[in-house]
Amino acid sequence: MNIIETFDLTKIYNKKIMAVDGLNLKVKKGEIFGLLGPNGAGKTTTIRMLTTLTKPTSGYGMIGGFDIVKKASEVRKIIGYSAQEAGVIPDATGRENLMLYGHYHHIDLRILKNRVIEILDLVDLRDDADRLVKTYSGGMRKRLEIATALIHKPKLLFLDEPTLGLDIQTRVRIWEYIQKLNEEGITILLTTHYLEEADKLSDSVAIIDHGHIVAIGTPKDLKSKIKGDTIFLTFPPQVQEKKNKLFKKAERILSDLSFVNSIQPTKEGMCVYVNNGNEAIPVLLRILEKEDLMIESTTLSRPSLDDVFMKYTGRKIREVE
Amino acid sequence: MSFLNDLWHTLWKHIRVTLRQPVWIFFSMIQPLIWLLLFTQLFKNISMMPGFPSENYLEFFAPGLIVMLAVFSSAYTGFDMLEDINLGVLDKILVTPVNRYALILGTILDSTMNLTIQALIVIGIAYMMGVDIATGFPGIILILGIVSLLGLSFSGLSHALVIVTKSHVPIVVVANMITLPLMFTSSVMIPKEFAPEWICTLMRLNPVNYAVEAVRPLFISSYDWTKLFSGFIVPGIFAFIAVTAAVLAFRRFGD
Repeated sequence: MNIIETFDLTKIYNKKIMAVDGLNLKVKKGEIFGLLGPNGAGKTTTIRMLTTLTKPTSGYGMIGGFDIVKKASEVRKIIGYSAQEAGVIPDATGRENLMLYGHYHHIDLRILKNRVIEILDLVDLRDDADRLVKTYSGGMRKRLEIATALIHKPKLLFLDEPTLGLDIQTRVRIWEYIQKLNEEGITILLTTHYLEEADKLSDSVAIIDHGHIVAIGTPKDLKSKIKGDTIFLTFPPQVQEKKNKLFKKAERILSDLSFVNSIQPTKEGMCVYVNNGNEAIPVLLRILEKEDLMIESTTLSRPSLDDVFMKYTGRKIREVE
Repeated sequence: MSFLNDLWHTLWKHIRVTLRQPVWIFFSMIQPLIWLLLFTQLFKNISMMPGFPSENYLEFFAPGLIVMLAVFSSAYTGFDMLEDINLGVLDKILVTPVNRYALILGTILDSTMNLTIQALIVIGIAYMMGVDIATGFPGIILILGIVSLLGLSFSGLSHALVIVTKSHVPIVVVANMITLPLMFTSSVMIPKEFAPEWICTLMRLNPVNYAVEAVRPLFISSYDWTKLFSGFIVPGIFAFIAVTAAVLAFRRFGD
């Protein structure tokens, strides 16, 4: 059963900026669904529409069987939203923050008090519950922020860039919480521009670029579509202005080779998809050198979501930022 | 029922923050003291002029100051909401089933409550400096009523500006542009008999003036029912328009 379904969901800001362009999305109940894309791809706008914060320009969306515009108040009862920003009140304590969101969900006071303790335990903040949030560390704030989205036991949790700006240790810890929540039966839709995050956490991934979905599937399926390894080659800086010409020349030479699957230009050179990278690199370099094509550096990478992103958009996800 | 629940929790969210900042109470006492001292010294001789409606300037100015502070501080109250917007708190709250009207009204009501307390403090300070409230306790209640309406007006306007623009700039510009002219085209500092004809015309268009004119007799003489009536009606209409504007703007927030 699908907990989220969207049909040509579109958002145009100020009548000209196309943020989300005809999005068709299906998220199954119980899964972790990752929306992967560079900044400005339309991830946050998608979440804002699904969480009823902003109305779609056209198309529609259903959450748990309720229309996100016409039945917004029903949708709000079953979703939790963890924002990219801090999202918690700095001049209140952790407990007060949780209580406030609980009151706004109209939870009975006695039930709420227990629920707050339960959730403080879940995010390991019980000992710090009565301190003002402005004294919290970044990681503590993020945990509290996620906790406020869980106070009413939502069926579906939206996490917008849950680990943005956090150090690696905290990030790993947040990942553990996300997996724990999912094991308890909460469906999770998360946006991220960290590949390893989408890869590690998601059951399904949609790669989104310029407001479109360019690829969708399990991380494994997506990666298996990339045959073999990827070799990144860069041209030396002094010949960068001629790189288009150089690329065409290289393409002509290399595409005749039997072990090369395909070639694509990149910002500073090109990437070559081959079956076995370790064996291909010396051969490639030798051939290119013979044809007077100088190479500054080579990088070999096993298939990753980055390559999937590259395959569908022609760019590396980091370059877009 | 959920309206009252949400209204109360919105109010409490703000009150708690205010209570945690005792400095706020201190400043709301210091500021009126400075104004009172400065103005009563500066304008001391005006009260000697023939036709001045009160015995001394302090007695004349204290009611004016209450109104003036109500306008000055409510004009900037939208900043609180701006902080919630910038921290992402408002978005998170809006994803809950909270009653939208309770949320915006609670926030405006909180600002208005702060002003009312501030007005009480000024009344207390003026009292200690020797100004008796001629109409006593019922008069004070009426004064606070009028101040609340002014508070609703200007914090409504301030919130509407923040909701539409999501920036602090318009509030600063508008507040700077309108507050002082509103003071000078009213009898906050100078009796209207002393003002030139064209300013008297402007006074008739200024809701702040109706408030001062209604509050002042409560302070220095007795109930002036005509002035009290317009002192409630004009700021009341203004408050209604401003709060409605804020509510309507809030309904479109996010789009």
